[in-house]
Amino acid sequence: MVAAAQHPKIKLMTYCEIVDVSGYIGNFEVTIKQKARYVDHSKCTGCGTCFEKCPSKVPSSYDFGLGTRKAIYIDFPTAVPNKPVIDAENCRYFKTGKCGICKKICPTGAVDYEQKEELIQEKVGAIVLATGFDLFEWEKAYGEYGYGRYKDVISGLHFERMSNASGLTGGKIIRPSDGKEPKSVVFIKCVGSRDEAKGKEYCSRACCMYTAKHAHQVLDKIPGSSAYVFYMDVRTPGKAYDEFYRRTVEEGVQYIRGRVSKIYPSGDKLIVMGTDTLLGRPVEVEADLVVLATAMVPSKDSDKIAQLVGCPTDKDGFFQEAHPKLRPVETMTAGLFLAGACQGPKDIPDTVSQASGAAAKVVALLSHDELATDPMISQINEALCSGCLVCKGVCPYKAIEEKTITERVHGKPVERVVASVNTGLCQGCGNCTVACRSGAANLKGFTNDQLLAEVDALCR
Amino acid sequence: MAKRIGLFVCWCGSNIGGVIDVPRVAQEASKFPGVVYATDYKYMCSEPGQDMIIKAIKEHNLDRVVVASCTPRLHEPTFRKTLAKAGLNPYMFEMANIREQCSWVHSDEKEKATEKAIALVKRALAKVSKVEPLYESHIPVTKKALVIGGGIAGMQVALDIADSGHEVILVEREPTIGGKMAMLDKTFPTLDCSA
Repeated sequence: MVAAAQHPKIKLMTYCEIVDVSGYIGNFEVTIKQKARYVDHSKCTGCGTCFEKCPSKVPSSYDFGLGTRKAIYIDFPTAVPNKPVIDAENCRYFKTGKCGICKKICPTGAVDYEQKEELIQEKVGAIVLATGFDLFEWEKAYGEYGYGRYKDVISGLHFERMSNASGLTGGKIIRPSDGKEPKSVVFIKCVGSRDEAKGKEYCSRACCMYTAKHAHQVLDKIPGSSAYVFYMDVRTPGKAYDEFYRRTVEEGVQYIRGRVSKIYPSGDKLIVMGTDTLLGRPVEVEADLVVLATAMVPSKDSDKIAQLVGCPTDKDGFFQEAHPKLRPVETMTAGLFLAGACQGPKDIPDTVSQASGAAAKVVALLSHDELATDPMISQINEALCSGCLVCKGVCPYKAIEEKTITERVHGKPVERVVASVNTGLCQGCGNCTVACRSGAANLKGFTNDQLLAEVDALCR
Repeated sequence: MAKRIGLFVCWCGSNIGGVIDVPRVAQEASKFPGVVYATDYKYMCSEPGQDMIIKAIKEHNLDRVVVASCTPRLHEPTFRKTLAKAGLNPYMFEMANIREQCSWVHSDEKEKATEKAIALVKRALAKVSKVEPLYESHIPVTKKALVIGGGIAGMQVALDIADSGHEVILVEREPTIGGKMAMLDKTFPTLDCSA
């Protein structure tokens, strides 16, 4: 993180969103919205006095409500950039107009309640989508696990925030309900993954390994504890992965092959009911804490990004690569590349590999001073074009633009609108030529005339 | 000016030659208007095969070429380069797919497969009779990249591009970078920290 922030060639734009993308390979124009931080980061030194003194406390969503943060905050102590923003929704000054403590005590005068969001234009030659993933909302689908009503049924990421030494519990694993250390922890894999009925068809790939890691951490950190893993399959196809899994089994993690049918509270414990399909009998485990390995799904709003940049998505909403085997980091839009879990569930080693692959593609593109374009693209015969622009609607690459031309009719100049092909964006798919009723759109190399000659030859 | 088409029919070893009567395809199709040269060869994509095309273009003053072989997805770029080497516009070219779309799928009906191959070649000849030279255009490249998302994937991409000397804009919607990875404790299988 620090390396990315300090690199002289990287311009880091945090708290920003992409609002518009136009142009084409080598020549994209991007509009980026800098959201208002209400803190001038050019003045802020990151001393932290403001969030020490801020009186507004809110549950920390970053830490799954394990603790609180202030209205002026950084999410975690080693954050990059290590400078706070104000959450206006929860800030006393923004809600009531009174308070202003952070502004008063800031030694550098960095707090600025008047700061407005800002639109920034940038020109780039290539775009990489690396929007990552979110977790499947199991609370909406799995009634048998309590629909999120039981505080001690948590997700794997929630568990990470507890076991993380820089998290709010300082690395101590606790029960969210009463803060006690759990002695018996049950892990359930494939929650939302590989479940056509309630979740997603696909395997989320990283869960087998992180569940093994979590189970190991329970046994490692809590003396005398026990860890149970309910699983459908154990999938560990990675370098040193199966060895790691075997190690957790040898450490005493109990793997039970079967699904959990119900979790219900009993006193301050949770009873986990399931089936051990290897023994062929039902099992019940008394648990202090239940951790769910929930499916990876495309990150929130990635569909909006897909629309902005013109990238197709697959049936699950992940960005679609140009070819599943041979072009895994490219998309069907030239100059647009993919890295990480936005293309499909991935663990860290795979993500890093794909990211470096995408970088290599970008570097190859940027090493050219100019690019040769495929000449087999659409062209519009302006004399035939009626300006209906049906072609514009069917173009998947946003390659058709409106153009006003001036013609002489009975000796007088008359303006009219015709379609025009952006030669950088057109990929030569031919959609427009099919949609065009006046026969004005023609694909070079596949003209109507050429296609008819072929049909004639075949029918003769 | 009269069109001067060269036709080259490929055996692809036994892939095509084991099913289709390749010399007959070349002979039948050579009757098509405009064909001034037609031949067949074991592997058109090989170096001797490509040399045959270059030599024929020069000797017979061909102005357009049809190769009947495999899918254009595989060797269309190969043969376009061959044409360019011989001094022709690389788009004065058409392929007939008589492997994936013929010999591979009709291996038990050899006679009919040969008839179909002839029809497919005629189709390509009809198309090539109508093609015109096409020219690539050139567009400039802005030597800067945008990376959307500041998690482990975005940071790695940004660092790798930046290390090559190109400028990178790394955009993250949250106040800080690191994404999900920064939330993690130790990472498998080595149990090193994620920060």
